[in-house]
Formats: sequence, C-alpha cells, structure tokens
Amino acid sequence: MSATHKRFVAILWTMFWLPTILQVPLAAQTARGADIAVVVHPDTPVDDLSLAEVRRVLLGDRQYWNSKLPVVLLIRAPVARERDVVLRVIYQMTETQFKQFWIAKIFRAEAASQPKIVYSNDMQYELVSAIPGAIAFVDAHNVRPGLKVLRIDGHFPGDHDYPLR
Amino acid sequence: MHRQLLVIAVLFLATGSAWGQSPPLPDQTEQVRVLLERVGQLEKRVAELEAKQGVSPTPILTAAERTPVQKSESQGTTASPGTAHDQMAQEQAVAQQAEVHYPSLQVRGFADIDFSATDQKGTTSGFNLGQLDLHLASPLSRKISYFGEMTFNAHANGYTVEVERSIIRYDYNDYFKLSFGRYHSPIGYWNTAFHHGAWLQTTIDRPEIVRVGGTFIPVHFVGFLAEGNIPSGGAGLSYSFGLGNGRGEIISRPGDAGDINNNRAWVANIFARPAKLYGLQLGASVYRDKITCQNNPIVPAVPGCRLTNGNDYREWITAAHVVWTKGAPEFLAEFANVNHHQVLTNLVSNSQGLYVQLGYRLPWSEKTLKPYYRFEYLHTPQSEAVLPNLDLVESIAGLRYDISSYAAFKGEYRHASRDILKTPTFNGIVNGLFLQTSFTF
Repeated sequence: MSATHKRFVAILWTMFWLPTILQVPLAAQTARGADIAVVVHPDTPVDDLSLAEVRRVLLGDRQYWNSKLPVVLLIRAPVARERDVVLRVIYQMTETQFKQFWIAKIFRAEAASQPKIVYSNDMQYELVSAIPGAIAFVDAHNVRPGLKVLRIDGHFPGDHDYPLR
Repeated sequence: MHRQLLVIAVLFLATGSAWGQSPPLPDQTEQVRVLLERVGQLEKRVAELEAKQGVSPTPILTAAERTPVQKSESQGTTASPGTAHDQMAQEQAVAQQAEVHYPSLQVRGFADIDFSATDQKGTTSGFNLGQLDLHLASPLSRKISYFGEMTFNAHANGYTVEVERSIIRYDYNDYFKLSFGRYHSPIGYWNTAFHHGAWLQTTIDRPEIVRVGGTFIPVHFVGFLAEGNIPSGGAGLSYSFGLGNGRGEIISRPGDAGDINNNRAWVANIFARPAKLYGLQLGASVYRDKITCQNNPIVPAVPGCRLTNGNDYREWITAAHVVWTKGAPEFLAEFANVNHHQVLTNLVSNSQGLYVQLGYRLPWSEKTLKPYYRFEYLHTPQSEAVLPNLDLVESIAGLRYDISSYAAFKGEYRHASRDILKTPTFNGIVNGLFLQTSFTF
C-alpha cells in the first residue's frame, strides 16, 4: 500500500469514528414518558430478563423460550409510542433501518417470518393471551390482568431504574 | 471521458435530490398517527365507561402476582349493538393474527439497474441489468422452514437462471438447527450476511474475495449445516458446522449434481455478538476440502484450475472478521488466507485477500445518506496452482442514498490496480464511475 493510500485511510478512519466518540447519548435528549412493560403469555417460563436478553429476543437471536415453545414477537404498528420506545431503546434503529433489518434477517434464513404487527392495545392483549410464547410491549398503565409482566434488569415498570421508557 | 463522467454524476445527484424532495410518506404517517390517536381515545373512553360501571382500574401485575389467563372484565359487560360489531371485527382480526397456516409461502424480490464507465481501453460505458433475485421463505411447521433463492442473470445471448439457495431447516431449539441443501458457505461475514440482493449491501458490488462467480473462496456449498447459539452469557457466541461436496469441476461452483471426488469438504464458523457491545461481531472460520483439478473445455470462460492436469490439492481456508453494523459508523473488515497443498509434489501456496469498509449514516435527511469507503487487497503468489491471478489493490469511495425504505441510489468512484491487466504498454490501473439503483419488492 502506498503512503498516500495509508494517509487517505487514516484520515477517513478518524473522520468516521470521531462523531461517535463525541456523541452525546441519545437517551438524554428524549423526553421521559410512561414506562413500557414487557408482557408475555402467562405460561411463558421466564420472569426476569436483562435488557440485553430482551434485545436478543427482539433481534431474533433467541427464538425459543425452551425447545417446545417458540417466541412469538408482537410489535405495535408505526407511530405508537410503544413501538418508538422499542426501536429507540432496544433496536437503536430508525423505522427504515428496522424494516431493512427484518427483510435481511429473513433473507439470511435466520428467521422464517417478521414480528406480528398489532394495531391497538386491545388486539395486543388478546394476542398475548391467546398465543403461547407471545411477547409484547405495552404502556404500563394499560397492562391488564391475565398477562405476566417481566422484570427487566431486575426492575418492574415504575421503578426508578427501569430501562424501557 | 472526464466531462462525460462529470455530466453523468451531476445528473445522478440532481435526480436523487429531486426525488428525495418529494413528500410521499408524511401523509400516510400522519393518517396512521391520527387513526392511532383515535383508537387510543376510544380505548380511553371504554376504560372510563367501565370505571363508571364499577370496574376497578387495572393494576400493574408483577411476575409474582400473576394470575392464570382469565377473560377480561370488559368482555363481561353488556355491549351495545355498535360495540358488539366492533368487538366482532376485533376478534376476527385477532383470530387471523393468531392463526398460523402451513405452508405459508412468502416471496420477496430484489433487483438492480447499473451504469458503468471506466477509462480501461477496449471497454464501453453503458447500462446493464443486475441480478433479478427471488427469495422464498415458507414455514412448513412450527419448527421446519424452507428457504429458496433464484437469480435471473443477464448475458450477451440471453438470461440464465440459477438456484442460489435451496434449504430445508429443522429447528430443535436455539442451540441446534439442522439444514440440508445448497447454501452460502459460512466463511467470513459478507458471504452469509448480504447474499445476492444488491439493496441489502451498502456498496454496489461485493468485495472481490466473495464475488459471485469468483474463485477465491467457494461461495456456495451443497450438503448439511448445523448451527445455533452456544451458552456463553454475555459473549453471545454462535456456531455453524457444515459438511458437503466442496468445490466442483469448475472451482467457482459447488458440486450441485455430485462431488468430483470421494472427499467431503467441511466448514466451521464461530462468532460472537457481545451483549455489552451491541452492533459488534467478531468471528473466525475454517474450510477444508480436496480439489481434483480437471480440464473444462465446455466452459472455457470460467476458470478451472490454473494448472489443469488432474492433480489433487488439499485446500485450507482460514478467515476472520470484525464488523460493527450500526450504520453510524458502519465498519466491516474481513481477511481470508487460502492455502493449497499439491498432494503429489508437496508444493504449498498461500493467497491472501482482505477488505476494510467504512460507512457513516449521516444524521440529517432522516439518516438516508451514507458515504462509504472500501479498501481491497488480494494477492495470489506465482506458486499458486489452483486459483488464477487475482492480484488487486482497489479503493472505492461512494455514496448511498435511501430513496425510501425499500429502494436506494448508489454512486461510486473506483480506483483499481489489477495485475492481470498489466501489459508492456498499460500499467493495469483502471478508474471508473459506477451508478446503481437497487430495491426490494
């Protein structure tokens, strides 16, 4: 590699990483809203997940709760606040990136289908209650009896350090 | 030449900007937002009515306090005819979502249209159709899925159709999934991450070491593949192990219709996605095969072995990759060493290939612009008897513009030095402008 080539690569390297290093965390720039509860079908054999584990589930890296029970992802339709929080905090993606992520995921044969889209809290509640292994994200004020609310990083919605808001 | 390139570049950028200024999405987004607000208001109203009828506000349930599934209290209330109709519609929608039909075929297409102009003597500038790629995914049961991929490729005398992938996969759990068929060899990162849809990748073309139809690494593999996660806590380890036919008579192709010798090739790949460094992936791969070189007079354009004399070669490919996939920045780096050992003479050769790609999704214009740069290096020594001369040093600088969630424009400048093009009167350096629109449908 010539010296000019090396210099060119070094300048580009610095240009690309510097903004990331200097970047102010995005979470600090957004207004705090109500907590988003992670709810599952009551028979799901899990009570507590770390945020990283929730991310693995949502990224499709974890597709089974156990060998007999597949994960069924439910995600609210665009513009719902629950979806905004999931995309911002867990996926850390824009709406476009999220769509592209799932197309690529299926294309790589890593998943057979995209998350199911739900259009209202009522629909979400019905589906989580009806589908074994279902997981959904609900405004903590709208959680209804019959659903299991998971602790995230050891915290329930409403706790000071709860990460999904 | 330079003036032509300049005019084309200006037209490309102007078209892209004009397209980007049209506001197709906000109307739909606004409508959806209004509808969702309306749904929210209605749900709130229902809750108020329930409260008036003496139903207590619902508490936040904890895992410890969880109760068995029971009918919502709201379902027990008397409903007016209008409400009953809405409820029926909702129940139908829920039932449709909850039901899963098998098989459930989904088809997705990818395509691209390209323009290229280079200063290489004897070549012409112009448009060409890229691959038309059809991808099929069909769950056959809760744990069995089929994936297929077909491409239609434009040639001077017509089109060829190629089965790129045809895989049936059985999932036992997250730790063990077994598939059979023709798949992309899990060597390195790019070959399994982006496949054939140009829209999926940031750049216009794949790196030379994983070029479709290239010979440096075997891009496809026919056999079986076991894959899954490895219980490893925050390290996020995963593995894949495959056994199959390996390189075919034409070494750029796998043995689709059968192996050329009685030796099976195997491939092993391990990678980590650490939980605390979301976006990072580190991995290493090993591939082992025995190649039997044969003359191929039928397809002379596709290189077989450089020395086609019926010799056997042991092939070891080792590869490693580091990628950061979050887009701001995007960083991909991959290295592969191809070792060939001639069985008869013990002659050994090592060929190396690498690329480093940097991209950055700019924060404005809704993160639709991504400038990028890629450096590529490939070296095959004189002692290499299987691969042709692939020596290359290349720099690519470009810009990707996502016109919508499903379509993109890309423009690239390339500066490449290829050993094979060198002549007494030509130094082998080629500059070129490449444009592409790629999309999924």
